[in-house]
Amino acid sequence: MNAIGPRFFAAALIVLLAIWAGIRMHSVHNARQQSANQEHGVAAPAGTASASDPRDVAVSEATGPHAVIPVHLPDFSLKDLAGKATPISEWGGKSLVINFWATWCAPCRREIPLLKSIAAEWAGRDLAVLGIAVDYRDKVKEFAGQFKIDYPVLIGDQDALDVAAQFGMDSPAFPFTVFTDGRGEVVALFVGELHRQQVDFILSQVQDLNHGRVQLPEARRLIGEGLEKLAEKHGA
Amino acid sequence: MQHYGRWRPGGLTTKVRCMQRTPTTAFLSLLLACLLGGAPGSVCAKPYWMRGIESNDTDFLPPDIAFRVSAHDEGNALKVRWVIADGYYLYKQKIEVKAESPDLVVSAPQLPSGVVKTDPYLGTQEIYTQQVEAQVPYTRMDAGAHPIQIKVTYQGCAEAGLCYPPITKVVFPSAGTTAAPAAANIPPYPWESIAIIGGAVGFLMAGLVLRKGRKLDLPA
Repeated sequence: MNAIGPRFFAAALIVLLAIWAGIRMHSVHNARQQSANQEHGVAAPAGTASASDPRDVAVSEATGPHAVIPVHLPDFSLKDLAGKATPISEWGGKSLVINFWATWCAPCRREIPLLKSIAAEWAGRDLAVLGIAVDYRDKVKEFAGQFKIDYPVLIGDQDALDVAAQFGMDSPAFPFTVFTDGRGEVVALFVGELHRQQVDFILSQVQDLNHGRVQLPEARRLIGEGLEKLAEKHGA
Repeated sequence: MQHYGRWRPGGLTTKVRCMQRTPTTAFLSLLLACLLGGAPGSVCAKPYWMRGIESNDTDFLPPDIAFRVSAHDEGNALKVRWVIADGYYLYKQKIEVKAESPDLVVSAPQLPSGVVKTDPYLGTQEIYTQQVEAQVPYTRMDAGAHPIQIKVTYQGCAEAGLCYPPITKVVFPSAGTTAAPAAANIPPYPWESIAIIGGAVGFLMAGLVLRKGRKLDLPA
């Protein structure tokens, strides 16, 4: 019996390992199949959208934002509420909070009061809030009046989508917000609805960057970690 | 229903890329990940400062994963179905189905009642979560000369605070079955056979281990 004991356990171990390997192989195969279904689950190739409607964006099979987020603020120009072409260089030397939004987007609307308060708090200092509405001009003008948006708003349809693509958002969802430092370096790109604590935290890092207390890679790392902690704290 | 508790726009794609290895490396990496107590997708971590883009556990899904649309032809009506990921919703008012192929006339989609959602900044809207199916009666004027194609438009958001622009797709309804359309595209990896053979080999090896040192009483 003593001689059989270790052999018996070794045999049992081999059998268990074989069963486990089989189950794992099967689950890996299932995971692949599910992923393939998710990727190809739409029963048709992507369609085309109405060219006249800036909200109506065709979504390709590869929908994730695969492009690289730029290190520096790209050079672009869009029209303001009055229809005047406004280059981004107009805010040169300032840190920027560039918020991409649309009137049909509920979280974008919810963000407006927060962005207004940020703009008011930093008025006359080295930071500006800028809205980029990817929407119809008339709707944006009406909405801006209704919500009393007092920070600059640029408007565009395909040209605004092109600007979004320059920030690495090829198939944008809204809102998303870009934070730059005073040198025009892109410090963070936040996808989704912003909340007060997140903005305050990112802006504190931007300020540290502007005052030379931290370098860009370190600021980005700290922002990433800080946002993770905030998300955990709020159960996001 | 697929559970998407984690939200990764490129993250899920990244995960797929990671899985697309040879069976051996996939198995080994899975084993390694299990041993380390982590997920296989974590191998593909991206810079985390780009929150919301392939970055962390609170990322958002790409729209085609958040809202999966399919359709099938039931003879005189089309059934268009959206499978909606957890934490996401579609607006009833934004759903449109139009004829795309020639000589096809489709009626307005018949949709069930949705859930009433009131947002102080957007008003009251009817939304769908989990899944929704629209019945779309149609008539064909071409006696079946062209394959049926419809153009489907829909728009939705994530509860976590992100909205996708309206999505428009041309859909080719499958005929008479609701089976997942892409299942046939999956290469037939013989995993089940491998598992069975592995189990059989395991039992054989176990038998050899137990047999070691023993004499076999064979009939003379």
